[in-house]
Amino acid sequence: MAGSISVIGRTTRVHGRVTGAVDLEVQGFVEGDIAVGGDVTVDVHGMVGAGVRGRRLVVRGAVKGDLVGEEAVSLEDGARVVGDVRAPRVTIAPGALVRGFVQTGEAVESPSRAARPQSAARPASPAPAKTMAAPPARAPAPTPAAAVPAPAAKPAVRQTEAMTAVGGVTANSLPRRPPPPVVPALKKAKGQVAKRKER
Amino acid sequence: MASTVIGAGITVEGDITTDEDVVVAGTVRGKLSAKEGITIEHGATVEADIVGGSLTIAGALTGNVTATERVDLQSGARVIGNVKASRVTIADGAQFKGNVDMDV
Repeated sequence: MAGSISVIGRTTRVHGRVTGAVDLEVQGFVEGDIAVGGDVTVDVHGMVGAGVRGRRLVVRGAVKGDLVGEEAVSLEDGARVVGDVRAPRVTIAPGALVRGFVQTGEAVESPSRAARPQSAARPASPAPAKTMAAPPARAPAPTPAAAVPAPAAKPAVRQTEAMTAVGGVTANSLPRRPPPPVVPALKKAKGQVAKRKER
Repeated sequence: MASTVIGAGITVEGDITTDEDVVVAGTVRGKLSAKEGITIEHGATVEADIVGGSLTIAGALTGNVTATERVDLQSGARVIGNVKASRVTIADGAQFKGNVDMDV
């Protein structure tokens, strides 16, 4: 049935939700959640400014939001994604750019909020590990040389490192995630939208 | 050739703005504006104010319609709202309730 293929064309901008049970192809700009039962294709020129949920997602354009696929998500060459990606199968092709937490496997049930603590915790663990590893490496060096200056130096080092570690941990609770990069295409499109509105 | 298609089974809640043709066979709630033609197919449900070049309506529409060229209500169309266009046709079998403003 040809009528079941839905397309948001290149010059089309949708501000709002798109829902349904069929396939959707985005060649234009959608600022709002997409939640469909079928497959979603975000084409080369397609831009989505919010979350996308579908059975299988194919992205060749820009998405600023979480991608949730019930079966699969494939990010192809040219894809620019800022957001979490969750699906039983996730493929990221060479040339696709992703900034976010990616989770494969297991059924998609809870929304990505559940994944956030994990994603925040994951970068946190390597940071303390490094600071733990660093002091022992330094400790043997000062102790044979001089007993007096070594303790003074050591706590100083530990303190600063502890502080950075603490700073890192607190920061990890939220802003540890790298700031979202400016997706040039999205930004440009927004500018265009704004311009059009001004007229 | 329409490059934007809201297929049957798709619901858009919000504003749609485009420079190209639009075909609606699904559901649209909000606003719909296009520079070219807008076709609302039989079976479509549109609850939106529509602005476009030329409009062909065969589905259910609730909302005000403004067209720079023409509005054609085809048989089977069900329209509640005001229609403003330089040319308006209502085919036999179309249901319509609202004002017609043809810039007389």
